[in-house]
Amino acid sequence: MSTKSKNIVVCVSMAIIVFGFCVLFLLLPKGAFLDSERREPARFPALTLESVMKDGLEYGDSFMKQFDDNYTPDNFPFREAFRKIKSWVGANVFLQKDKDGVYVVDGVAAEMQETIDESSIAHAADRITFVYEQYLKDKGIKPYISIIPDKGYWLSEQNGYLSMDYDVFIEKMLDSVDFAEYINIKDSLEAGDYYKSDTHWNQEYLLDIAKLLVDGMGGDHNSVYVKNELDVPFYGVYAGRAPKPLASETITYYTNENMANVTVFNYEKNRPGAIYDMELAHGKDAYDMFLGGEVSKLTIENPNAKTDKELVIFRDSFGRSIIPLLIDDYAKITVVDTRYQVPQILLMGVDFEKADVLFLYSTIVLNASAEMK
Amino acid sequence: MLFSSISFLYFFIPAMLILYFAVPFKLKNTVLLAFSLFFYAWGGVTYALFMVIAILLGYIFGLLIEKFRGKKNAKLFVSLGVATIISFMLYFKYTDFFIDNFNKVTGLSVPLQKIVLPIGISFYTFQIISYVVDVYRGEKAQKNPINLAAYVAMFPQLIAGPIVRYCDVARELETRTHSITEAGEGTRRFILGLAKKVLIANSMYDLSELMYAADEKTVLLYWLYGISTSLYIYFDFSGYSDMAIGLGKIFGFHFLENFNYPFISRSATEFWRRWHMSLGSWFRDYLYIPLGGNRVPKWRWFINIFAVWLFTGFWHGAAWNFILWGLFFGVLLVIEKFWLLKYLEKSQVFSRIYILLAVIVSFIVFQIPTLGEAFTYIGGLFGAGGISFASAETLYYLRSYAVLLIAALVGSTPLIKKLAIRFSQSEKSAKVSNVLEVIMLVVLLVVVTAFLVDSSSNPFLYFRF
Repeated sequence: MSTKSKNIVVCVSMAIIVFGFCVLFLLLPKGAFLDSERREPARFPALTLESVMKDGLEYGDSFMKQFDDNYTPDNFPFREAFRKIKSWVGANVFLQKDKDGVYVVDGVAAEMQETIDESSIAHAADRITFVYEQYLKDKGIKPYISIIPDKGYWLSEQNGYLSMDYDVFIEKMLDSVDFAEYINIKDSLEAGDYYKSDTHWNQEYLLDIAKLLVDGMGGDHNSVYVKNELDVPFYGVYAGRAPKPLASETITYYTNENMANVTVFNYEKNRPGAIYDMELAHGKDAYDMFLGGEVSKLTIENPNAKTDKELVIFRDSFGRSIIPLLIDDYAKITVVDTRYQVPQILLMGVDFEKADVLFLYSTIVLNASAEMK
Repeated sequence: MLFSSISFLYFFIPAMLILYFAVPFKLKNTVLLAFSLFFYAWGGVTYALFMVIAILLGYIFGLLIEKFRGKKNAKLFVSLGVATIISFMLYFKYTDFFIDNFNKVTGLSVPLQKIVLPIGISFYTFQIISYVVDVYRGEKAQKNPINLAAYVAMFPQLIAGPIVRYCDVARELETRTHSITEAGEGTRRFILGLAKKVLIANSMYDLSELMYAADEKTVLLYWLYGISTSLYIYFDFSGYSDMAIGLGKIFGFHFLENFNYPFISRSATEFWRRWHMSLGSWFRDYLYIPLGGNRVPKWRWFINIFAVWLFTGFWHGAAWNFILWGLFFGVLLVIEKFWLLKYLEKSQVFSRIYILLAVIVSFIVFQIPTLGEAFTYIGGLFGAGGISFASAETLYYLRSYAVLLIAALVGSTPLIKKLAIRFSQSEKSAKVSNVLEVIMLVVLLVVVTAFLVDSSSNPFLYFRF
């Protein structure tokens, strides 16, 4: 190709790309949902005199800034393909080991947790201690605590990624809440017990963990379940962030006769809830099917429970998928998430007298506990 | 508006190209101005009004200087014009700096004005000054306000340079040609600049931020910070200049080069002949020489040199670290002029180590706003404080960014350019090279688009300029 031809081809090919994508952007319908990122794309920003005239310190809210930073990237034609190109270039050309802290090992995605945040541990311990001293100590109740490591515990260091010392982390946490009895589930878990594309553990592999928890609190867990599979593909939170493409997964969940007879009440919405919410299962994050997603307070009453014991469980999102497996063992389970509401409100009317109390948190939340109230 | 944005690449550019090439020549500057004002107003409408006022003032002063050419009043108007235009920049850029330091010295609490700096004000202010002074020095005043405004506000170089002097483009404002060859070369230059910014500079910025945020500081970390910061600033700045020069070519303008592989320099003197050349020559022609240059007594010469470097530093930002950054180079240049340069010119290895170390130290001062912290980082390069050499974290990021670091280091030398020239020397290999070049440009544009669509960081270096 001569230099003159080259210049012509450069101009023509660039024009095709630039004008082509411009036209496609204008003509193609905008997507309603970004599947792999599990969020809605930014909508066309409000075009008003006020939004156009914002500048200086207010520029971040201006029409122009929203258009540049949110609307155009979110709605660019073939956005998903471009995201895959970026991931591919990062992993295979630049040989970057992670993408914004997320890495993939043998098809399993995880996120680096390289630093122990001492202040976060202290805050989480302070919040747990508050509950203990306000509601449990005078009644002589000894709570239980169990800590769920994230996948990095098994994957990071072993594969050359940055990792905090999880054993030290757990030790520090337990030392800060030494009034609680520790139930060690870490040693019974493994990376395969978690979804490959998500942070959470997979209920399919939690039967032994449920037994550890119930037995650890003095019960005798021996329930039998039927295994069910959700009919929609599940893309976890890492599907849109991982440096390599991740396959879709199947959500498996267990049911039994008792579950059909329990009463779930969602205090946040002030209406009955469900153990497995099939509407949410078909929503943007199928994991939300477990106990109806992020809800600050639920009660589950089981008239056919093996005992008349109650359980008050303080949990994060990991708790949602294991709590259904504890139902047979308790007449009533009160599920609270203090990230969304203060305990003084969540614990109104809760009777601790014949209740086991369990704090079940993941290292992810304990190491970034600012939201715990 | 940023060059490295979807809005610019896929909306602004197509609209601009269609209109610019659709209208007859006499309207091209009007289209160029209209789009330039839109481009600038996209970053803040009111700031565009300030720029228009500054341009109008420059236009009026230019006419007045020409009217009184050769008379006393010409000098009055050029002084008044320069003072007026500079007062705009002083107000927006330096008010809070002076108040803050006044408060520190006097113990008073004069409230800060919290003035947000209009993007590119330092660049367009210098361009208007260059116009006013060039007219005073004999250049014809621009009668057509649209042409003058098109020169000052021309979007390719408006927010990040190069500082285009009026005398360099005066003729092209009146008459210029457009060709497919120029457009092809301009497009190539633009895409290479865009790739430098989006793929290399942004990655180096990410690495420098990771090092800055790391809890455990090590010697290796400080070196990685210094090197990635230097590479970030170079690739960002030179990438923007490449894009400006490329866009200029597409629209028929020929801007002077702004960077010439500064990291291969062997002295600070050479470095500043290769780094931000348009700023260096601007200060030489509009400050250093008017002050008397080196044709004055030695003590005055010293003052002239330090005045230039004081203002060079201060031009980059209203903070002490920028002043120190400028003066640091002033000191190096004086030492070189009086003693060191002759030794550096004879040395192949020491001279390069010397200037790279000086550049890394200078950019640490440039990038870290608090001087105490900057000195900690500089001390850290040499293990001050008994820190360990490396940690798992620094080694991890060194490995993770190794390819990008090597690409950036190689790309900051003329090696690839030389190889490309050597490869395309025969007619046959030149043809192959042309095909490969087209493929590379298409791939780069697609990859850059991918990085912009899924952008996690796209820093803008010039918000303090």
